[in-house]
Amino acid sequence: MRKNIILLAAMILCAGILKAQKPENILAAVGTPPNPKVQVSWNRYNDYAAITDICKRLAAAHPNLVKIESMGKSFQGKDLWVVTITDTKVGNADKKPAMYIDGNIHSNEIQGSEFALYTAWYLAEMYASGNKSIMSLLADKTFYIAPTINPDARDNFIHQANTAHSPRTGLIPIDNDRDGTTNEDGFDDLDGDGHIVMMRRKSATGRFKVDPTDNRRMILVGAEEKGEYELLGSEGNDNDGDGFVNEDGEGAYDPNRDWGWNWQPNYIQGGAYKYPFSLPENRAIVDFVMKHPNIAAAQSYHNNGGMILRGPGAIEDVDTYNALDIRVYDALGKKGEEMLPGYKYLVVYKDLYSVFGGELDWFYGGRGIYTFSNELWTGYSMYNKTDGEDSQNQLYTFDKDLLMKDAFVDWHAYKHPLYGDIEIGGFKKTYTRLHPGFLLESDAHRNMAFSVYHAYNTPKLSVGEIEVKDIGGGLTQVTTIVNNERMIPTHSSQDVKNNIEIPDIISLSGGTVVAGMIVTNRDMNFTVEQKLDPTNIKVQNIPGNSFVTVRWLVKGGSKFTVNVNSKKGGLASKSN
Amino acid sequence: MKKLYLFNFFFLFLLGNVLAQNQQDYSNNSTLAQRVKALAAKYPQLVKSKSLTQTIGGRDILMLTIGTGKTEQKPAVVVVGGVEGKHLLGVEMAIGFAEKLMASSTVDSIKTLLDKQTFYVFPNMSPDATEQYFAKAKNERSGNATKTDDDRDGNINEDDSDDLDGNGKITWMRIADPTGKYKLNTDDPRSLLMADATKGEIGKYILLPEGIDNDKDGEFNEDGDGGVAFNKNSSYNFKPFVAGAGEYAVSEKENRALFDWLFDAFNVYAVVTFGPTNNLSTPVTFNAPGVAKRIITSWFEADAKANALVSERYNKITKTKDAPKTQSESGDFSQWGYFHYGRLSFSTPGWWVPKVAPDSARKEKKFNNEDAVASYLRWATGQGITNTFTPWKAVAHPDFPGQTVEVGGLDPFVLINPPYKMVDGIVAKHTDFIIGLAGMAPQLDLINVKTEKVADGLTRVTLKVMNTGDLPTYTKIGDRSYFLKKIVVNVKSNANQTFVSGRKTQTLESIQGKEFKELTWLIKGTGKVTIEAGSPTTGSKSIEVSL
Repeated sequence: MRKNIILLAAMILCAGILKAQKPENILAAVGTPPNPKVQVSWNRYNDYAAITDICKRLAAAHPNLVKIESMGKSFQGKDLWVVTITDTKVGNADKKPAMYIDGNIHSNEIQGSEFALYTAWYLAEMYASGNKSIMSLLADKTFYIAPTINPDARDNFIHQANTAHSPRTGLIPIDNDRDGTTNEDGFDDLDGDGHIVMMRRKSATGRFKVDPTDNRRMILVGAEEKGEYELLGSEGNDNDGDGFVNEDGEGAYDPNRDWGWNWQPNYIQGGAYKYPFSLPENRAIVDFVMKHPNIAAAQSYHNNGGMILRGPGAIEDVDTYNALDIRVYDALGKKGEEMLPGYKYLVVYKDLYSVFGGELDWFYGGRGIYTFSNELWTGYSMYNKTDGEDSQNQLYTFDKDLLMKDAFVDWHAYKHPLYGDIEIGGFKKTYTRLHPGFLLESDAHRNMAFSVYHAYNTPKLSVGEIEVKDIGGGLTQVTTIVNNERMIPTHSSQDVKNNIEIPDIISLSGGTVVAGMIVTNRDMNFTVEQKLDPTNIKVQNIPGNSFVTVRWLVKGGSKFTVNVNSKKGGLASKSN
Repeated sequence: MKKLYLFNFFFLFLLGNVLAQNQQDYSNNSTLAQRVKALAAKYPQLVKSKSLTQTIGGRDILMLTIGTGKTEQKPAVVVVGGVEGKHLLGVEMAIGFAEKLMASSTVDSIKTLLDKQTFYVFPNMSPDATEQYFAKAKNERSGNATKTDDDRDGNINEDDSDDLDGNGKITWMRIADPTGKYKLNTDDPRSLLMADATKGEIGKYILLPEGIDNDKDGEFNEDGDGGVAFNKNSSYNFKPFVAGAGEYAVSEKENRALFDWLFDAFNVYAVVTFGPTNNLSTPVTFNAPGVAKRIITSWFEADAKANALVSERYNKITKTKDAPKTQSESGDFSQWGYFHYGRLSFSTPGWWVPKVAPDSARKEKKFNNEDAVASYLRWATGQGITNTFTPWKAVAHPDFPGQTVEVGGLDPFVLINPPYKMVDGIVAKHTDFIIGLAGMAPQLDLINVKTEKVADGLTRVTLKVMNTGDLPTYTKIGDRSYFLKKIVVNVKSNANQTFVSGRKTQTLESIQGKEFKELTWLIKGTGKVTIEAGSPTTGSKSIEVSL
């Protein structure tokens, strides 16, 4: 509570200072909102309350662009916020091709939330500043942005003593050691400094020594060398007296093994919970996605390693990702590599590790949505060069050279109830996987730009030519072309293969339709007639950067309107 | 064991007299609810009932907890009926089991059993679907009331079946058509068979379920009222994009509610399903490549052995025979019970059309063709069952103008649900089976306890933790699942006693039936220690040892 009051005081103070800097005193840097209505510092991390506050301020400041709603509740009852961003004066948000973005599915991978929030903030503020590209984008598209889909454990990561890797899970208690009690032996912040770091002990049989070039670092001794220390793992104790240390801490399932595509139980896929979408957070998301069939693209944020990942997560799904769809993925992913220095476009199952029941596989396999997971933060960003042979060493030099040794808890003595005289020290949870403050905004911006590129390439439908021809006998032939001006088709080939989404409907009004058909070759007059309901021609797909041709035979009328209705491609209309 | 068999005979005899058999037909949901309520009212100390959830159709998923005291701490068997909505018999078998068990709850052996073990009964997992048996037009259906677009065309439930002949049953229609793939069965021309083109046979009929192509898409009855089928919606071998499967596994309220409940019931050692799959008449066979893959598709060898043991018991007790081989469908519940829930999972339809020899008195000949309908009709004739076949009769059909369309064929439901008068006997046999299964439950004992004085004030304690039951304490497949608990062995000692060797608290992995694990400790100090071993699926056992 006291922390909160201090935070609030600091915020008020900041606001005061910012007011003193009047717009006329500022020269806008290109590509950044010059005078944002909502001031946010993008060089630090936000807990759930702070995220909620930013979302609400965005919605209040931009009522015509930003709407905040709850997708449902987390296990602990926190609202799972999703921010809808679109130009509400143009079209219906839920009928425009949309991009879904979420962050923080793994609770320790917190910067995904800042990246997602930055995207929301950037779109709204750039629109408000009159940026033409973003205004046109938000006229055509909708963004659904869920900054954190694991808020319970995010707050645990932020407010409790943790390592950079804990917790990865949500907070439903799990009996990891299967002894009948849950969460009875987690980490212990032995020295009470708020960090879970490493334990080391002087030992005649130890195989580690202090690095002579940096005394914070422990290195393995050579084959003929004698060590001074043994490493005892993360700070902790055997709380339940079963002979194991830290073997049953918070939760310990993996929310990214809980999705309903090729889901496997935890004895096959470690981290799986009870069944697909058995975690309340994911269930809320799947319900949201099912209610928003206009979602045509998706992005989830993880850390770390600098990767733009696509599925399949498991080799068993290699045939699910077919060649046509991979072409789209490749085009997007390769552009991403250019936009995100140090990031590589990779395939989960062969370049990372095997995952059953991952989020990106459900979005693509289950809904036919092109989806990426970005592993944010790469060692490349430390010195803007590919990791050297000793990237572990780079962590120490970077901390010393650029972070003023802020990332390390120096080794200090501690009397351990089990291990006796030990020393405690190591990197803080905010280092190794999370961005240092000064690089956070820069990388958030680049990832935002990648999402904008992805969203821009969702289908954009338009009705082209409407040719009207009198063919005698009181019949008029109306032929029309419907274009998709972007790279992504209205139905991915995974979608077409399984009829996931209903066909696109191209309708004619004006006159009485007596027959309707899809024209597969206009020059040769190859057509496929639709006998039932010929007014509303159903087409399976309008491919990317391509078109379909539709024809009707009509009695009466000379003024016609063609309407296109596509779940993922949006609406289009034109009259002759 | 012998005692149990003797008891079984007595039990069968007793039941015939005790149960008032005034019910004439399968239970609809309100009858089922009354039966559940009556049972809970009559045996308040033994039976607790509740509604687990309600389906989208607003019908309760009822469950009964049968046992005494802290039921959640005793080894338990789960009994599930109505996994397949067409299978009314499964519902009767599950609720009937509860009734018959209670009817004999004053018998000593059953009293002892109810003190030691718990039974969880879920009589009907498909209440939306089973209700179709009682509908104005009787129609076999597996799906619940979730509105699904089965043919994925954007319209919901737009092409259901239609009772063309108005006889209150959805049967079949055959259309005389040169493109048809069916021909009359020469064994019994009332039935049709697929023509075998490789033998030069020529099809003469199109065979379809009774109905109109309401949405004029060329498919008949392909998007009817049925939603998601309980038995297609489990996570094991789930197939998406199949009518009735659901958009993803375990999407339905009833599936989720049951799975949530079961995962928290750590005391369950076996699941018995009354449904289409049958691994009780013939047990599963171990298939090494099936367990060598990442996604396991075969029972582990040790578990397959347990299945064989239980199957043998099943055949002996129920005396059922000639069971047809079954092929589990994708998303099947009983397979889930093993592969994803990690429990020993047994399943039987309870009844199938008996094989009958041709009756020369009726001038019957041996059949040349495999045909379930013809076999049924022959058996039914012998039983004097006459009202389950609708003779083919011509109707005018809007989708086949100028063609001969006849409606008729075997009635819905009859192939898998016997006449109701046979149900009580089937229930009695299967009740005996479940009691027999409970007699095989894993159970812990601490035996061969040995204390040796190693030196003054230093004692070596050795003992065997034995599973005296026939079934394993948990399955091999459950070995790595955190939803199955290990056996915890705990030595309660006082402050003067220290462990020189051996652990004060430790966990043990699964122990097979009749197998043991030896433990040893070196304890310094004097006086007594208490050693306790237990797990939710086995109960616990404790002994006192003097140092």
